[in-house]
Amino acid sequence: MASSALALTGLVAIATPAKAVTCTGTIAIMAPLTGGAAFIGKEQAGFAKVAIDAVNAKSGSTFDFKELDTQLDAAVASSLAPSVVSDKKIIGVVGPAGSQEVLAIGGLFGANDIALVSPSATRTNLTAGTYPSFFRPIGNDAVQAPTGARYMVQTLKAREVVVIEEKTAYGTGLANEMMAELKKLGVKATKLVVNEKNADYAAVVTRVPKTADFVYVTFQVAAKSESVAQELIKQKKKAVVFGSDGSDSPTFKTPGTFLTAFAPDVSNLPAAKAAFDAFKVKTGAAAATTFGPPTYVAAQVIAEAAVRVCEAGKTADRASVLAEIKKTNIKKSILGKAIRFTATGDVIGGTFPVFKTQKDGTRKTVG
Amino acid sequence: MSNLGIGTDEWVAQHEERSASQSPLKKLFARIPLWAKWGSFFVIAFLFGMFSDNQYLLRVGVNLALFIMLSYGLNIVVGYAGILDLGYVAFYGFGAYGYALLSSEQLGQHWPTYITVPFITILTALLGYLISLPSRRLFGDYLAIVTLFFGQVFVQLVLASDNITFPWADDYVDITAGSNGIPGLDTFNLFGFIFDDIKDYYWLLMVIVLILTIAIHRVSATRIGRAWRTVREDALVSEVMGVSVNRVKTIAFVAGATIAGFAGTIFAGMQTSVFINGFDLPLMIMIYAAVILGGSGSLAGALIGAIIMTILPELLRVPNYGAILFFVALLLTFFVLSKKFSRFLIYVVSIILIGFAFQLAMTAIGVTQANAEDWVVGFTGDLLKNWLFVPENRILWGNFAFILLLTFIAFFSIAKPIWKQVLLPFIGFTAIFLWEVRLIADVSTTRQLIIGAMLVVLMILRPQGLFGQTRVEIL
Amino acid sequence: MDYLGQQLVNGLTLGGVYALIALGYTLVYGVLQILNFAHGDVYMIGAFLGFFAMTWLGGPLAPTVPVALMLLVMFLVAMMGTGLLGIVIERFAYRPLRNSTRIAPLISALGVSILLQNGALLIFSPSIRSYDTSSYIPSTSGFSIGQVTIDSVRLGVLVLSAVLMVLLTRWVNGTQVGRAMRAIAYDKDAAVMMGIDVDKVIRWTFFVGAALAGAAGVMNGLLLRGVSGTMGLIPGLKGFTAAVIGGIGSVPGAMLGGLLLGVIESLAQGYLSTNFADTITFILLITFMLFKPNGILGRPMMVKV
Repeated sequence: MASSALALTGLVAIATPAKAVTCTGTIAIMAPLTGGAAFIGKEQAGFAKVAIDAVNAKSGSTFDFKELDTQLDAAVASSLAPSVVSDKKIIGVVGPAGSQEVLAIGGLFGANDIALVSPSATRTNLTAGTYPSFFRPIGNDAVQAPTGARYMVQTLKAREVVVIEEKTAYGTGLANEMMAELKKLGVKATKLVVNEKNADYAAVVTRVPKTADFVYVTFQVAAKSESVAQELIKQKKKAVVFGSDGSDSPTFKTPGTFLTAFAPDVSNLPAAKAAFDAFKVKTGAAAATTFGPPTYVAAQVIAEAAVRVCEAGKTADRASVLAEIKKTNIKKSILGKAIRFTATGDVIGGTFPVFKTQKDGTRKTVG
Repeated sequence: MSNLGIGTDEWVAQHEERSASQSPLKKLFARIPLWAKWGSFFVIAFLFGMFSDNQYLLRVGVNLALFIMLSYGLNIVVGYAGILDLGYVAFYGFGAYGYALLSSEQLGQHWPTYITVPFITILTALLGYLISLPSRRLFGDYLAIVTLFFGQVFVQLVLASDNITFPWADDYVDITAGSNGIPGLDTFNLFGFIFDDIKDYYWLLMVIVLILTIAIHRVSATRIGRAWRTVREDALVSEVMGVSVNRVKTIAFVAGATIAGFAGTIFAGMQTSVFINGFDLPLMIMIYAAVILGGSGSLAGALIGAIIMTILPELLRVPNYGAILFFVALLLTFFVLSKKFSRFLIYVVSIILIGFAFQLAMTAIGVTQANAEDWVVGFTGDLLKNWLFVPENRILWGNFAFILLLTFIAFFSIAKPIWKQVLLPFIGFTAIFLWEVRLIADVSTTRQLIIGAMLVVLMILRPQGLFGQTRVEIL
Repeated sequence: MDYLGQQLVNGLTLGGVYALIALGYTLVYGVLQILNFAHGDVYMIGAFLGFFAMTWLGGPLAPTVPVALMLLVMFLVAMMGTGLLGIVIERFAYRPLRNSTRIAPLISALGVSILLQNGALLIFSPSIRSYDTSSYIPSTSGFSIGQVTIDSVRLGVLVLSAVLMVLLTRWVNGTQVGRAMRAIAYDKDAAVMMGIDVDKVIRWTFFVGAALAGAAGVMNGLLLRGVSGTMGLIPGLKGFTAAVIGGIGSVPGAMLGGLLLGVIESLAQGYLSTNFADTITFILLITFMLFKPNGILGRPMMVKV
């Protein structure tokens, strides 16, 4: 009697395989959801949510999503950091969006094994090894600026370049790298520094010499780059605007301008299209700018790493997720390229193709 | 017709009436001795510090203490002496950056804490003095705008000082690291005791706040305190009475600046990094809101205002707390507006009926309903999910509801009393609808909306602030 | 010389926009002695209303009506909309506080400002919209005087702000409401005793001030293209600065202050380091205020004892 009961239990045990392991956890995003940079944060949050939903649908996991508003302010980020650390359900963080926020909280998160995958913090020294839990699926300033500089000088034969540095953490880093590279290439380079809250670019454009070939802009708002481009035309200067990934948006469409971005225009790739459509439905936004797709990838990296941990039979916690993220190997992301990380957190092969704006406003890869 | 002020004799004659009409609650509150009211706050603070290890809450406590210091300082400048200083937050930033430059790799200086903090604090006081000098010629709004300019000069100077090119030098000089900020500051190190835990700062700040409270309270009762108050009420009269107005104003200005500078150094040490955008107008606005909500001129008011402006936004980060706050506020409003309990019940029932009617109407038209999991956030959603019809296209309907609500409120304010009663349940339903459909999902924006609405409503209900004294204009 | 000329043109255009915002501040200050900090956000709403009017008429790429008509509609919609908004703000945030201290309306205004900004964020979503001016007004149109180019948009803004300022002066000096407004600004209690309907005049003042800010918003959209929920903070600040430099409460003062501020900013950026332009502008303004504490055209405040 007892033996048959035992056998029955054994049969039941074998018959129900322990395969359907539910994977749970919260993935948080730290981004500017209100304030002047809200357009960045909202888009990032939207894409992150879409990514997590996609991973949940595909692998049956039930990851939660938590939004934390930092307003791109490092003080707010460092205030929120302890709450993230003490909320044990959080297994990874998408963001923070600003380089200075990483500086403020990177140490604390590294000490607690919480992964930080930022889609927009491009300051070069963030991956110098100081922050062991920091990753970014996009290239940094030290790659983007020289790419642009080399293209301007070697392919487009520029002899004089004006760099407009916008006084933000993003703009200053990029501008400094650009100036250094231009100097190395032996080209005449001048820098004009403008405030982020600057009202009008006419005065700055008037300062651009008639002999300048290019104006390199470091804005994160494409409308500003478009403003400068049009001002140059209005004031009959020959210089052409060359932008960075911050200018990658349909608003910047003056024909003949250039920019570097971390991926070709992804909205046409089929995999990316599904993400874009889901994003538009969820948030009601009409279009996306350059900040969304990398955030999708960032969230995907964390979520899929957690799924891998669960599939190996363990529970997804911070340390195990962090370890898995280091082994990330996404063959084809919606950015159109593979995602693998170096030992210090940069994405391998993070290149910046150069684009030229065509007459109809679309962009074509040229370099 | 605007109200004219009342005559002197009448105001004096009404004194008995006024003190008799004070609500019993207020009388009871006034009977509690001063030290007990203050003591309760500090006792709670100390107990919390002793028994809690929650890093997040301790950090909130540290933020609160710093904010209290800033409120105290601004209270002296605006509340006691009546100087509208719109650049006050620059002193805070100066203290923080001063500490940063002397305790980091930026300039390669690493001074010991017990020298840096007093040095920078005194330097900030000096800066306050220098700024007060030219400001003597200005009054009222003109003084306000010049102080605003000084505040902006500080911010712009810090932003620009990472790129100083001298004509003779080839490369540029970087003093303040501009928009990048200065990370990696040394934390406080007082005679061997290293402040490496947030709790250390918490204790330090609570003790400082306690000392400051006692000090300011004492000063307020001395000659200089009385001088401040007379200058605030009427500068010309006080000058005639022998009070040196310039000197008194300068002392207030410098005192406020010193407190802010001191707070700045502690902030920098605690955060071990400084970024300039945290010392600009948004923070200035918060400090002003705290001081005025609490009642400018009142020390207790500054404390309560600081508590509200620090704790409330943190509470509102959590959807559940926000929901509690929203529904409690809604119910309270209805309760106050209905005056009779029976009417209040009628309102509640009408709202429920409208909800069901709405459900029927929507299903009849054929609007698709959203899945419950999509929109239920927090426990209120759980409670209401069978009653409230949430359409699929939440954004569109949410925006529509927002505008409808504003229109209803607009009509409500100009409508005749009978129509007011009819409109009220509709307003209630639209508010709940808007909350569940849109606001609760968008926690961050809602937080700000609630803060903004709170400022407007509190000012209208009690313009003198919670602890302020009603100022009477006598003809 | 050409360089100076160009920078002057830039400065005057910018100054025109600042002047319109400054006028709103000064008008309200004149009658109510309060600083309407929500004014900058009214300007922002104006920019959005103009954008939506444009989209409704087919958008920048395919307007369904001639460009001139579309621009007219944009301005009218923005000005009417913001005018009404101004009246609503006055009714709810300032009217209840008419008899309290000066500082209470300040905080109420801050509350309104936060509400407007985040309300815009909620309803309009935070994405930055673009007026995309060059699609319907090509940047090559316009004319040049020597080497100084003035393109169509800039010219239009200059002309329009001048026209609006002239109209405003006529309104303040010529109409009954305008005269009543000046009377209230001079001595409110006397004005009441003379039978002036203060509430109505204050409503008109807010309407006109807000409408001007709305026009400024559309102009800014046409000049700089970008429209976002937080774009009102800095122009509001600049407008407030301009109003005070010119002498707060003085209508010609606000215009002068606005133009002066725009020119100083452009010249500072043009001749001094762009890096330090803002710092120097503010230092100049501080020095100016110390020499002329009541602003350029402000009356010295005399307090009756």
